[in-house]
Amino acid sequence: MTCRSLPLLAVLFALLVGATPLSADNALPKGLRNYTPGPAPNFRLTDIDGESFNLKDARGGWVFVHFWASWCGPCRKEMPAVERMTTLLADDAVTVVLVNTAEDEDTVFTFLAGVAPEMNSLLDRDGSVTEAWQPRGLPATYLVDPQGIIRYQALGGRPWDQPLYLDFLRNLPR
Amino acid sequence: MRTLLTSLFLAGLLLVTRTGVADPVKLKLTPRTPEQMSAFYEARGFPPQMIELLSHQCFITVGIHNTGKDIIWLDLANWRFTTADGKQLHRPHRDDWKQKWQAMGVPLAKQSTFRWTLLPEALDYQPDEAEGGNIILPRVKGPITLYAEFASGADKRGPLIKVIHKNLRCAENPE
Repeated sequence: MTCRSLPLLAVLFALLVGATPLSADNALPKGLRNYTPGPAPNFRLTDIDGESFNLKDARGGWVFVHFWASWCGPCRKEMPAVERMTTLLADDAVTVVLVNTAEDEDTVFTFLAGVAPEMNSLLDRDGSVTEAWQPRGLPATYLVDPQGIIRYQALGGRPWDQPLYLDFLRNLPR
Repeated sequence: MRTLLTSLFLAGLLLVTRTGVADPVKLKLTPRTPEQMSAFYEARGFPPQMIELLSHQCFITVGIHNTGKDIIWLDLANWRFTTADGKQLHRPHRDDWKQKWQAMGVPLAKQSTFRWTLLPEALDYQPDEAEGGNIILPRVKGPITLYAEFASGADKRGPLIKVIHKNLRCAENPE
């Protein structure tokens, strides 16, 4: 190896090191993508039991924010997987937050009782919180980091209870 | 309500669903009858005057799936609907509907649900992404032709994707 090759090797090394984040991107489960980082719009909503939740209070851990509506077919299909995921992640530091878009308590209660009885949901009664987040459609899932920054977005419904997704969620950087 | 939803679902299956594939985009168009749409909105407690107005429209549920490897760009400004005699049908923008609902004093929750049932005016479809929603046109008797264009590529400078759908029809209530 000549000395002239060393700078070239250094460049190659730098490129490889620089490529590390790209490799991490490639490990994203199908349908998840990096989100142009930005602060998650805060909200304070109550769930179907009347309990209040403030997104800011969840800082310090990752938050899985999931927007849905009972009339949305893909939401109905995805919700059981979200429920199983929540059970399987019970010991992990990911807070799962469901936000129903603009439906009443009775509708949400009836839907969840039939599709995912272990789940509770926050009620975005007038749809204004959903509007502030501007999802691409419903269902919509965002992963908010411990500092309150949206880092990832899911495209449409995802099989969240599958190992690839669970591993990804369990290995989110703390 | 469950019975109603089941009925809606079954009625939907009976309608003719048209699917067009212009690689790399799969477009599925499903016309909905006025009864279907009225039942959908009634079940969600929409005000009667809103339902009355919507029952006279032509609803088409559009499913778009990016089956390619590049981003494709939906922009409804690049979609044209024409009747058999070549006349262009005006598709009201979602903001037009918003103004109508505001003027009627429709509750925000109902406005929100209505908006989420519409196809977005513009959206970048990532590879393998599928999103959909309704398009609302003036109700006409004859066939409608859709000319749709999608830009492609991250910078929208990829090949222009053109889709033409002929013989699309507004769905009528069953006799």
